Amino acid sequence: MYAVLLSLLGALIILDKYALGEFGFSQPIITGTIIGAIFGDVWFGIFLGAMIQLVFLGGLPIGRDIPPDGQAAGIITAGSYFLLRGGNSLGHSLFVALVFGLAGGIIGGVMETYARRFNEKLYNRFIHHEECLYICHTTGLATAFIRGLCLFLPLYIISSLLVIPDVFPQITQDTLAIIGVSIGLANSFYLFVKVKTMIYLLIGGICGLVLAVF
Amino acid sequence: MRLSFSRLLRIFWQSLFIQTSWSFPSMQSMGFMSDLIAGVGEEKREEILRTQKGLFNTHPYMVSYIVGATVRAYDEGRASPEEMKRFLAVAQTSFASAGDLLFWRTLRPALLLLAVILGVHYGVVGPITFLVVYNIFHLFHRVKGINDGYSMGWNVIYLLKTRRFKLVQLIFEAVGALLSGLLISLVTVNVQYLLVIPLTALFMIMLIRRYSAVLIIISVLLLIFIIGLV
Repeated sequence: MYAVLLSLLGALIILDKYALGEFGFSQPIITGTIIGAIFGDVWFGIFLGAMIQLVFLGGLPIGRDIPPDGQAAGIITAGSYFLLRGGNSLGHSLFVALVFGLAGGIIGGVMETYARRFNEKLYNRFIHHEECLYICHTTGLATAFIRGLCLFLPLYIISSLLVIPDVFPQITQDTLAIIGVSIGLANSFYLFVKVKTMIYLLIGGICGLVLAVF
Repeated sequence: MRLSFSRLLRIFWQSLFIQTSWSFPSMQSMGFMSDLIAGVGEEKREEILRTQKGLFNTHPYMVSYIVGATVRAYDEGRASPEEMKRFLAVAQTSFASAGDLLFWRTLRPALLLLAVILGVHYGVVGPITFLVVYNIFHLFHRVKGINDGYSMGWNVIYLLKTRRFKLVQLIFEAVGALLSGLLISLVTVNVQYLLVIPLTALFMIMLIRRYSAVLIIISVLLLIFIIGLV
Protein backbone atom coordinates (compact mmCIF):
# COMPACT_ATOMS: atom_id res chain seq x y z
CA MET A 1 0.00 0.00 0.00
CA TYR A 2 2.84 2.36 0.94
CA ALA A 3 4.48 1.59 -2.43
CA VAL A 4 1.36 2.68 -4.35
CA LEU A 5 0.78 5.83 -2.30
CA LEU A 6 4.43 6.80 -2.51
CA SER A 7 4.42 6.25 -6.29
CA LEU A 8 1.37 8.50 -6.66
CA LEU A 9 3.01 11.18 -4.52
CA GLY A 10 6.27 10.85 -6.47
CA ALA A 11 4.44 11.09 -9.81
CA LEU A 12 2.70 14.27 -8.59
CA ILE A 13 5.93 15.83 -7.37
CA ILE A 14 7.80 14.98 -10.59
CA LEU A 15 5.32 17.20 -12.50
CA ASP A 16 7.29 20.08 -11.01
CA LYS A 17 10.35 18.99 -13.01
CA TYR A 18 9.08 20.57 -16.22
CA ALA A 19 5.34 20.06 -16.70
CA LEU A 20 4.00 22.39 -14.02
CA GLY A 21 5.53 25.43 -12.37
CA GLU A 22 9.15 24.38 -11.84
CA PHE A 23 9.20 25.74 -8.30
CA GLY A 24 11.97 23.35 -7.24
CA PHE A 25 9.79 20.96 -5.19
CA SER A 26 11.12 18.03 -7.23
CA GLN A 27 14.77 18.65 -6.35
CA PRO A 28 16.23 15.65 -4.45
CA ILE A 29 16.96 17.67 -1.29
CA ILE A 30 13.27 18.64 -1.07
CA THR A 31 11.82 15.23 -1.97
CA GLY A 32 14.23 13.55 0.46
CA THR A 33 12.89 15.84 3.20
CA ILE A 34 9.25 15.13 2.30
CA ILE A 35 9.70 11.34 2.08
CA GLY A 36 11.83 11.33 5.24
CA ALA A 37 9.06 13.22 7.07
CA ILE A 38 6.46 10.67 5.88
CA PHE A 39 8.54 7.82 7.31
CA GLY A 40 9.41 9.72 10.51
CA ASP A 41 13.13 10.23 9.83
CA VAL A 42 13.49 13.72 8.40
CA TRP A 43 17.24 14.02 8.97
CA PHE A 44 18.13 10.86 7.07
CA GLY A 45 15.74 11.86 4.28
CA ILE A 46 17.55 15.20 4.01
CA PHE A 47 20.94 13.45 4.07
CA LEU A 48 19.95 11.05 1.26
CA GLY A 49 18.41 13.89 -0.76
CA ALA A 50 21.53 16.01 -0.22
CA MET A 51 23.87 13.28 -1.49
CA ILE A 52 21.77 12.60 -4.59
CA GLN A 53 21.54 16.37 -5.13
CA LEU A 54 25.34 16.61 -5.17
CA VAL A 55 25.59 13.78 -7.72
CA PHE A 56 23.15 15.53 -10.08
CA LEU A 57 24.22 19.13 -9.38
CA GLY A 58 25.74 19.54 -12.84
CA GLY A 59 22.85 18.12 -14.90
CA LEU A 60 21.67 21.18 -16.77
CA PRO A 61 18.55 20.92 -18.98
CA ILE A 62 19.75 23.23 -21.73
CA GLY A 63 18.04 23.30 -25.15
CA ARG A 64 17.11 19.88 -26.54
CA ASP A 65 19.50 18.06 -24.17
CA ILE A 66 17.76 15.80 -21.63
CA PRO A 67 20.26 14.80 -18.94
CA PRO A 68 19.69 11.83 -16.55
CA ASP A 69 16.71 12.51 -14.32
CA GLY A 70 18.16 13.69 -11.00
CA GLN A 71 14.73 14.50 -9.63
CA ALA A 72 13.48 10.95 -10.24
CA ALA A 73 16.72 9.56 -8.77
CA GLY A 74 16.07 11.53 -5.57
CA ILE A 75 12.48 10.32 -5.26
CA ILE A 76 13.46 6.67 -5.96
CA THR A 77 16.46 6.62 -3.61
CA ALA A 78 14.64 8.13 -0.62
CA GLY A 79 11.44 6.11 -1.13
CA SER A 80 13.22 2.81 -1.79
CA TYR A 81 15.51 3.26 1.21
CA PHE A 82 12.64 3.74 3.66
CA LEU A 83 10.64 0.87 2.10
CA LEU A 84 13.66 -1.47 2.18
CA ARG A 85 14.58 -0.52 5.74
CA GLY A 86 11.44 -2.22 7.03
CA GLY A 87 12.86 -5.71 6.49
CA ASN A 88 16.58 -5.27 5.85
CA SER A 89 19.73 -3.93 7.51
CA LEU A 90 20.59 -0.25 7.06
CA GLY A 91 23.75 -0.97 5.01
CA HIS A 92 21.98 -3.29 2.59
CA SER A 93 18.98 -0.95 2.27
CA LEU A 94 21.23 2.00 1.52
CA PHE A 95 23.18 0.07 -1.12
CA VAL A 96 20.10 -1.21 -2.97
CA ALA A 97 18.30 2.16 -2.71
CA LEU A 98 21.30 3.92 -4.26
CA VAL A 99 21.54 1.40 -7.08
CA PHE A 100 17.79 1.76 -7.74
CA GLY A 101 18.01 5.55 -7.54
CA LEU A 102 20.98 6.05 -9.86
CA ALA A 103 19.78 3.45 -12.36
CA GLY A 104 16.30 5.01 -12.11
CA GLY A 105 17.83 8.40 -12.92
CA ILE A 106 19.27 7.03 -16.16
CA ILE A 107 16.07 5.14 -17.07
CA GLY A 108 14.04 8.24 -16.14
CA GLY A 109 16.00 10.32 -18.68
CA VAL A 110 15.24 7.76 -21.40
CA MET A 111 11.56 7.63 -20.41
CA GLU A 112 11.40 11.41 -20.54
CA THR A 113 12.52 11.29 -24.16
CA TYR A 114 9.65 8.87 -24.90
CA ALA A 115 7.18 11.06 -22.99
CA ARG A 116 8.20 14.00 -25.11
CA ARG A 117 7.86 11.93 -28.26
CA PHE A 118 4.30 11.19 -27.18
CA ASN A 119 3.81 14.95 -26.78
CA GLU A 120 4.88 15.19 -30.42
CA LYS A 121 1.77 13.17 -31.31
CA LEU A 122 -0.31 15.63 -29.28
CA TYR A 123 1.22 18.49 -31.27
CA ASN A 124 0.43 16.73 -34.55
CA ARG A 125 -3.13 16.23 -33.39
CA PHE A 126 -3.37 19.93 -32.58
CA ILE A 127 -2.05 20.82 -36.04
CA HIS A 128 -4.97 18.92 -37.62
CA HIS A 129 -7.57 19.93 -35.02
CA GLU A 130 -6.85 23.48 -33.89
CA GLU A 131 -9.85 23.54 -31.57
CA CYS A 132 -8.07 20.89 -29.42
CA LEU A 133 -5.24 23.23 -28.33
CA TYR A 134 -6.03 23.20 -24.60
CA ILE A 135 -6.80 19.46 -24.49
CA CYS A 136 -3.63 18.55 -26.38
CA HIS A 137 -1.56 20.94 -24.28
CA THR A 138 -2.85 19.82 -20.87
CA THR A 139 -2.65 16.13 -21.81
CA GLY A 140 1.08 16.73 -21.39
CA LEU A 141 0.40 16.74 -17.63
CA ALA A 142 -0.95 13.19 -17.90
CA THR A 143 2.09 12.15 -19.96
CA ALA A 144 4.46 13.45 -17.29
CA PHE A 145 2.39 11.92 -14.47
CA ILE A 146 2.23 8.49 -16.13
CA ARG A 147 5.95 8.57 -16.85
CA GLY A 148 6.58 9.13 -13.14
CA LEU A 149 4.16 6.41 -12.10
CA CYS A 150 5.66 3.85 -14.53
CA LEU A 151 9.11 4.68 -13.19
CA PHE A 152 8.36 4.66 -9.46
CA LEU A 153 5.74 1.95 -9.01
CA PRO A 154 7.80 -1.14 -10.06
CA LEU A 155 10.85 -0.01 -8.09
CA TYR A 156 8.80 0.77 -4.98
CA ILE A 157 6.92 -2.55 -5.17
CA ILE A 158 10.24 -4.42 -5.47
CA SER A 159 11.64 -2.38 -2.57
CA SER A 160 8.69 -3.18 -0.32
CA LEU A 161 8.92 -6.93 -1.05
CA LEU A 162 12.67 -7.43 -1.33
CA VAL A 163 14.57 -9.37 1.32
CA ILE A 164 18.28 -8.77 0.71
CA PRO A 165 20.58 -11.76 1.42
CA ASP A 166 23.43 -11.13 3.90
CA VAL A 167 26.09 -11.86 1.27
CA PHE A 168 24.91 -8.84 -0.71
CA PRO A 169 27.20 -5.73 -0.71
CA GLN A 170 26.36 -2.96 1.71
CA ILE A 171 27.35 0.65 2.13
CA THR A 172 27.68 2.93 5.16
CA GLN A 173 26.50 6.49 5.62
CA ASP A 174 30.14 7.64 5.75
CA THR A 175 30.94 5.98 2.43
CA LEU A 176 27.93 7.62 0.81
CA ALA A 177 29.07 10.98 2.21
CA ILE A 178 32.55 10.45 0.69
CA ILE A 179 31.11 9.70 -2.75
CA GLY A 180 28.51 12.48 -2.53
CA VAL A 181 30.98 15.14 -1.39
CA SER A 182 33.55 14.08 -4.02
CA ILE A 183 31.21 14.38 -6.97
CA GLY A 184 29.57 17.45 -5.39
CA LEU A 185 32.95 19.18 -5.15
CA ALA A 186 33.80 18.23 -8.74
CA ASN A 187 30.42 19.49 -9.99
CA SER A 188 30.58 22.75 -8.06
CA PHE A 189 34.22 23.44 -9.03
CA TYR A 190 33.24 22.86 -12.65
CA LEU A 191 30.28 25.24 -12.38
CA PHE A 192 31.66 28.04 -10.24
CA VAL A 193 35.43 28.13 -10.13
CA LYS A 194 36.98 30.73 -12.41
CA VAL A 195 39.96 33.01 -11.97
CA LYS A 196 37.74 35.82 -10.65
CA THR A 197 35.92 33.59 -8.14
CA MET A 198 39.02 31.76 -6.86
CA ILE A 199 39.27 34.02 -3.81
CA TYR A 200 35.73 33.09 -2.72
CA LEU A 201 36.55 29.40 -3.12
CA LEU A 202 39.59 29.82 -0.87
CA ILE A 203 37.60 31.71 1.78
CA GLY A 204 34.86 29.04 1.63
CA GLY A 205 37.44 26.26 1.81
CA ILE A 206 39.10 27.71 4.91
CA CYS A 207 35.71 28.22 6.60
CA GLY A 208 34.69 24.67 5.58
CA LEU A 209 37.86 23.17 7.06
CA VAL A 210 37.34 25.10 10.30
CA LEU A 211 33.73 23.85 10.49
CA ALA A 212 34.85 20.26 9.74
CA VAL A 213 37.53 20.29 12.46
CA PHE A 214 35.46 21.97 15.18
CA MET B 1 0.94 51.00 -20.81
CA ARG B 2 0.01 48.58 -18.04
CA LEU B 3 -1.84 45.29 -17.88
CA SER B 4 -4.90 44.86 -15.70
CA PHE B 5 -4.44 42.62 -12.66
CA SER B 6 -6.81 39.95 -13.94
CA ARG B 7 -4.96 39.67 -17.28
CA LEU B 8 -1.63 39.58 -15.49
CA LEU B 9 -2.93 36.74 -13.31
CA ARG B 10 -4.24 34.80 -16.34
CA ILE B 11 -0.92 35.09 -18.19
CA PHE B 12 1.03 34.19 -15.04
CA TRP B 13 -1.13 31.12 -14.35
CA GLN B 14 -0.86 29.88 -17.91
CA SER B 15 2.91 30.51 -17.95
CA LEU B 16 3.28 27.90 -15.21
CA PHE B 17 2.25 25.33 -17.84
CA ILE B 18 4.59 26.60 -20.57
CA GLN B 19 6.51 23.31 -20.85
CA THR B 20 3.61 20.92 -20.14
CA SER B 21 3.41 19.66 -23.72
CA TRP B 22 7.12 20.11 -24.58
CA SER B 23 8.01 18.02 -27.63
CA PHE B 24 11.04 17.84 -29.93
CA PRO B 25 9.59 19.40 -33.12
CA SER B 26 7.56 22.19 -31.52
CA MET B 27 9.15 22.49 -28.05
CA GLN B 28 7.04 24.99 -26.04
CA SER B 29 4.86 26.02 -28.96
CA MET B 30 1.50 24.89 -27.57
CA GLY B 31 2.33 26.37 -24.15
CA PHE B 32 3.27 29.69 -25.74
CA MET B 33 0.10 29.88 -27.79
CA SER B 34 -2.06 28.99 -24.77
CA ASP B 35 -0.35 31.72 -22.75
CA LEU B 36 -0.86 34.27 -25.52
CA ILE B 37 -4.55 33.40 -25.84
CA ALA B 38 -4.92 33.74 -22.05
CA GLY B 39 -3.44 37.23 -22.28
CA VAL B 40 -4.94 38.54 -25.52
CA GLY B 41 -8.37 36.92 -25.25
CA GLU B 42 -10.34 34.27 -27.14
CA GLU B 43 -11.48 36.81 -29.76
CA LYS B 44 -7.98 36.83 -31.31
CA ARG B 45 -7.50 33.07 -30.99
CA GLU B 46 -7.67 32.43 -34.73
CA GLU B 47 -5.12 35.13 -35.49
CA ILE B 48 -2.73 33.82 -32.81
CA LEU B 49 -3.00 30.24 -34.04
CA ARG B 50 -2.46 31.35 -37.63
CA THR B 51 0.69 33.38 -36.87
CA GLN B 52 2.30 31.49 -33.98
CA LYS B 53 2.30 27.85 -35.08
CA GLY B 54 5.75 26.30 -35.27
CA LEU B 55 8.77 26.02 -33.07
CA PHE B 56 9.04 28.10 -29.92
CA ASN B 57 11.58 27.57 -27.16
CA THR B 58 13.01 29.76 -24.46
CA HIS B 59 13.82 29.57 -20.76
CA PRO B 60 10.57 28.73 -18.93
CA TYR B 61 10.90 31.61 -16.45
CA MET B 62 11.86 34.14 -19.13
CA VAL B 63 8.86 33.43 -21.33
CA SER B 64 6.96 36.10 -19.35
CA TYR B 65 9.00 38.91 -20.93
CA ILE B 66 8.27 37.61 -24.42
CA VAL B 67 4.57 36.95 -23.77
CA GLY B 68 4.17 40.44 -22.23
CA ALA B 69 5.68 42.13 -25.30
CA THR B 70 3.72 39.95 -27.76
CA VAL B 71 0.40 40.54 -25.96
CA ARG B 72 1.00 44.28 -26.30
CA ALA B 73 1.67 43.88 -30.03
CA TYR B 74 -1.67 42.08 -30.43
CA ASP B 75 -3.43 44.73 -28.31
CA GLU B 76 -2.08 47.55 -30.46
CA GLY B 77 -2.65 45.61 -33.66
CA ARG B 78 0.12 47.50 -35.43
CA ALA B 79 2.84 44.85 -35.67
CA SER B 80 2.97 42.86 -38.88
CA PRO B 81 3.39 39.05 -38.64
CA GLU B 82 6.91 39.41 -40.12
CA GLU B 83 7.87 41.99 -37.50
CA MET B 84 6.51 39.73 -34.76
CA LYS B 85 8.40 36.72 -36.13
CA ARG B 86 11.65 38.72 -36.20
CA PHE B 87 11.17 39.79 -32.58
CA LEU B 88 10.30 36.26 -31.44
CA ALA B 89 13.30 34.73 -33.23
CA VAL B 90 15.71 37.09 -31.50
CA ALA B 91 13.93 37.24 -28.13
CA GLN B 92 13.51 33.51 -27.58
CA THR B 93 17.19 32.72 -28.09
CA SER B 94 18.44 35.76 -26.16
CA PHE B 95 16.16 35.17 -23.16
CA ALA B 96 16.87 31.43 -23.31
CA SER B 97 20.62 31.87 -23.01
CA ALA B 98 20.25 34.56 -20.32
CA GLY B 99 17.83 32.36 -18.34
CA ASP B 100 19.94 29.23 -18.71
CA LEU B 101 23.02 31.09 -17.51
CA LEU B 102 21.26 32.86 -14.66
CA PHE B 103 18.99 30.10 -13.34
CA TRP B 104 20.20 26.66 -14.50
CA ARG B 105 23.93 27.37 -14.37
CA THR B 106 24.28 29.82 -11.49
CA LEU B 107 21.36 30.56 -9.18
CA ARG B 108 19.85 27.08 -8.83
CA PRO B 109 23.09 25.12 -8.27
CA ALA B 110 24.36 27.81 -5.85
CA LEU B 111 21.16 27.72 -3.80
CA LEU B 112 21.07 23.92 -3.91
CA LEU B 113 24.62 23.85 -2.53
CA LEU B 114 23.43 26.16 0.25
CA ALA B 115 20.45 23.87 0.89
CA VAL B 116 22.72 20.80 1.03
CA ILE B 117 25.17 22.38 3.49
CA LEU B 118 22.45 23.88 5.70
CA GLY B 119 20.34 20.71 5.44
CA VAL B 120 23.09 18.34 6.57
CA HIS B 121 24.10 20.64 9.45
CA TYR B 122 20.77 22.12 10.55
CA GLY B 123 17.99 19.92 9.08
CA VAL B 124 14.90 21.41 7.43
CA VAL B 125 16.37 24.92 7.43
CA GLY B 126 18.28 23.98 4.26
CA PRO B 127 15.40 22.82 2.04
CA ILE B 128 13.14 25.65 3.28
CA THR B 129 15.83 28.27 2.57
CA PHE B 130 16.22 26.92 -0.97
CA LEU B 131 12.49 26.98 -1.69
CA VAL B 132 11.99 30.50 -0.31
CA VAL B 133 15.04 32.23 -1.84
CA TYR B 134 14.86 30.42 -5.19
CA ASN B 135 11.18 31.19 -5.66
CA ILE B 136 11.64 34.86 -4.79
CA PHE B 137 13.90 35.17 -7.86
CA HIS B 138 11.83 32.76 -9.93
CA LEU B 139 8.49 34.47 -9.27
CA PHE B 140 10.02 37.93 -9.61
CA HIS B 141 10.99 37.16 -13.23
CA ARG B 142 7.69 35.40 -13.95
CA VAL B 143 5.55 38.32 -12.73
CA LYS B 144 7.74 41.36 -13.39
CA GLY B 145 8.60 39.90 -16.80
CA ILE B 146 4.98 40.07 -17.92
CA ASN B 147 4.61 43.68 -16.80
CA ASP B 148 7.95 44.79 -18.23
CA GLY B 149 7.31 43.00 -21.50
CA TYR B 150 3.94 44.69 -21.82
CA SER B 151 5.15 48.17 -20.88
CA MET B 152 8.37 48.06 -22.96
CA GLY B 153 7.08 46.15 -25.98
CA TRP B 154 9.81 45.05 -28.43
CA ASN B 155 12.39 47.02 -26.36
CA VAL B 156 12.10 44.47 -23.56
CA ILE B 157 15.11 42.72 -25.05
CA TYR B 158 17.36 45.55 -23.81
CA LEU B 159 16.56 44.51 -20.25
CA LEU B 160 19.05 41.67 -20.73
CA LYS B 161 21.85 44.23 -20.44
CA THR B 162 20.65 45.56 -17.08
CA ARG B 163 21.81 44.78 -13.55
CA ARG B 164 18.75 42.56 -13.02
CA PHE B 165 20.55 39.81 -14.92
CA LYS B 166 24.26 40.63 -14.81
CA LEU B 167 24.57 41.64 -11.16
CA VAL B 168 22.56 38.70 -9.78
CA GLN B 169 24.61 36.32 -11.90
CA LEU B 170 27.91 37.79 -10.67
CA ILE B 171 26.78 37.66 -7.04
CA PHE B 172 25.62 34.06 -7.25
CA GLU B 173 28.80 32.99 -9.08
CA ALA B 174 30.74 34.28 -6.08
CA VAL B 175 28.25 32.68 -3.65
CA GLY B 176 28.54 29.38 -5.54
CA ALA B 177 32.35 29.45 -5.36
CA LEU B 178 32.20 30.25 -1.63
CA LEU B 179 29.76 27.39 -1.03
CA SER B 180 31.90 25.01 -3.12
CA GLY B 181 34.65 25.59 -0.56
CA LEU B 182 32.22 25.29 2.34
CA LEU B 183 31.16 21.86 1.03
CA ILE B 184 34.32 20.53 2.72
CA SER B 185 32.48 21.08 6.02
CA LEU B 186 30.37 18.00 5.26
CA VAL B 187 33.33 15.70 5.78
CA THR B 188 34.60 14.74 9.21
CA VAL B 189 38.24 14.56 10.25
CA ASN B 190 38.86 10.89 9.56
CA VAL B 191 41.46 8.98 7.54
CA GLN B 192 38.91 7.39 5.19
CA TYR B 193 37.71 10.85 4.16
CA LEU B 194 41.07 11.37 2.43
CA LEU B 195 39.44 9.37 -0.38
CA VAL B 196 37.55 12.56 -1.24
CA ILE B 197 40.72 14.00 -2.83
CA PRO B 198 41.38 11.38 -5.55
CA LEU B 199 37.65 10.88 -6.18
CA THR B 200 37.09 14.61 -6.68
CA ALA B 201 40.06 14.69 -9.07
CA LEU B 202 38.62 11.71 -10.99
CA PHE B 203 35.19 13.32 -11.38
CA MET B 204 36.77 16.67 -12.29
CA ILE B 205 38.70 15.01 -15.12
CA MET B 206 35.50 13.38 -16.37
CA LEU B 207 33.66 16.73 -16.30
CA ILE B 208 36.48 18.68 -17.96
CA ARG B 209 36.79 16.06 -20.69
CA ARG B 210 33.01 16.41 -21.15
CA TYR B 211 32.15 12.78 -20.50
CA SER B 212 28.41 12.28 -20.83
CA ALA B 213 26.29 12.63 -17.68
CA VAL B 214 25.13 9.02 -18.09
CA LEU B 215 28.74 7.79 -18.05
CA ILE B 216 29.45 9.78 -14.89
CA ILE B 217 26.38 8.31 -13.15
CA ILE B 218 27.42 4.80 -14.26
CA SER B 219 30.89 5.40 -12.81
CA VAL B 220 29.29 6.47 -9.49
CA LEU B 221 27.25 3.24 -9.60
CA LEU B 222 30.41 1.19 -10.25
CA LEU B 223 32.16 2.96 -7.38
CA ILE B 224 29.29 2.09 -5.05
CA PHE B 225 29.49 -1.55 -6.19
CA ILE B 226 33.26 -1.72 -5.63
CA ILE B 227 33.08 -0.04 -2.21
CA GLY B 228 30.06 -2.19 -1.28
CA LEU B 229 31.95 -5.38 -2.14
CA VAL B 230 35.10 -4.29 -0.30
